[in-house]
Amino acid sequence: MKHRSPLITLAAVAAAFAIMFIVNMSVSPPGSGSSDTANPSAAPATVAATSPAESTQNSAASPSLSPSKSVEDSKFPSKIVYAGRAEDGAGAVAVAVLGTNAAAYFCDGRSVESWFRGTVRGVDLKLKSKDGATLQASLNGDHLKGLVRINNERVRFDIDEAKQPAGLYRARGSKTTIGWIVLEDGSEVGVQTTGETSTPAPELNPESPQVTVDGENFDAAPVNGDEDL
Amino acid sequence: MASIPIPAPETAPVESRGTRIGPVVIAFVIGTAVSIGLGVYGRLHTPSGYAVNIAGFSNGPAAKAFLATIVMILVIVQTVTAMGIYGRIPLRGAWVSPLHRWSGRLAVLISVPVAVHCLYALGFQAYDGRVITHSIFGCFLYGAFVFKMLILTRDDSPGWVLPLAGGLVLSGLTALWVTAVAYFFFV
Repeated sequence: MKHRSPLITLAAVAAAFAIMFIVNMSVSPPGSGSSDTANPSAAPATVAATSPAESTQNSAASPSLSPSKSVEDSKFPSKIVYAGRAEDGAGAVAVAVLGTNAAAYFCDGRSVESWFRGTVRGVDLKLKSKDGATLQASLNGDHLKGLVRINNERVRFDIDEAKQPAGLYRARGSKTTIGWIVLEDGSEVGVQTTGETSTPAPELNPESPQVTVDGENFDAAPVNGDEDL
Repeated sequence: MASIPIPAPETAPVESRGTRIGPVVIAFVIGTAVSIGLGVYGRLHTPSGYAVNIAGFSNGPAAKAFLATIVMILVIVQTVTAMGIYGRIPLRGAWVSPLHRWSGRLAVLISVPVAVHCLYALGFQAYDGRVITHSIFGCFLYGAFVFKMLILTRDDSPGWVLPLAGGLVLSGLTALWVTAVAYFFFV
């Protein structure tokens, strides 16, 4: 004898999977609404956390971080930068967190780089780059442990807080973008990209962060977690 | 949810003449393929990093933890009723088998949004021991579930197969719950 009801259950579950996938795929990324509608109280808080613009080097933790759901969700200090070398010497990683926003940079110091943006949830960070690379990390004590996935490669890292002048710097010109990760020991890993071409970045002096590339002057600035990369 | 056209047997399938292992192997292969398929999908697609929020919860992880805990409770109900059906504990009555079936259906249905969120938004990850364990068991669970459903369609499997399949589902879910919900609440 055969029973059909388990198959119906199976079909119902498969259908539920399909429906959930379709619903998820039709949802726009965070920020444009859908995911916030279920939790309206979080929306103003997110706005508040992202408002402090281009802050200067030594600005203290953002004052507008009012007690709110989205900030409580973060187990990170309200403003912090982590930086360090990736495992296997594959490059360097820097992650800047501000409130519940995070920005990050990975580069190998030669020709591979990627800028990431994302959000903080509890002890976890999930960031994506415009070209599809991802960076995921979790707070592990006071250091940040995670994985960059770029060009089908995986790069693991376990990095500590970077105190100024160490940290993440970025300069942007008409055609060229430069990123630097300045490590605690003073060494730098950076890449500059003009159009499609990426080359090692010129040396940066974090104390007076100006560089000249092809006759164009760049002012480098520390990157905060809410940076629009 | 579908109606139940044919009730499953109220008594434990007795190990009897003419059991066949072939269909069990096929069911196992299909279940394995489901697990591997989920894992490959989770590994290859780029995690979206977001997914629909389930209304009424403070945030995604809390919603998932809550739903997963309901599923865990239902699966414990499953285990207890299964033990009753198999006579391992004194739990008898016409309600035992329907409770087993419906708690199972409810459990798997509730688990779907959680699993889809994991798979779609996060993907198969391996950056630490907890995460890879969770990823592996997440793929394993639905393969085990498919295996069990396929086993249930026949009466001629050897008697040990169904408890084994149920045990695989229970083990998978327990591992998932411990590596995610327990971690979420207690660590």
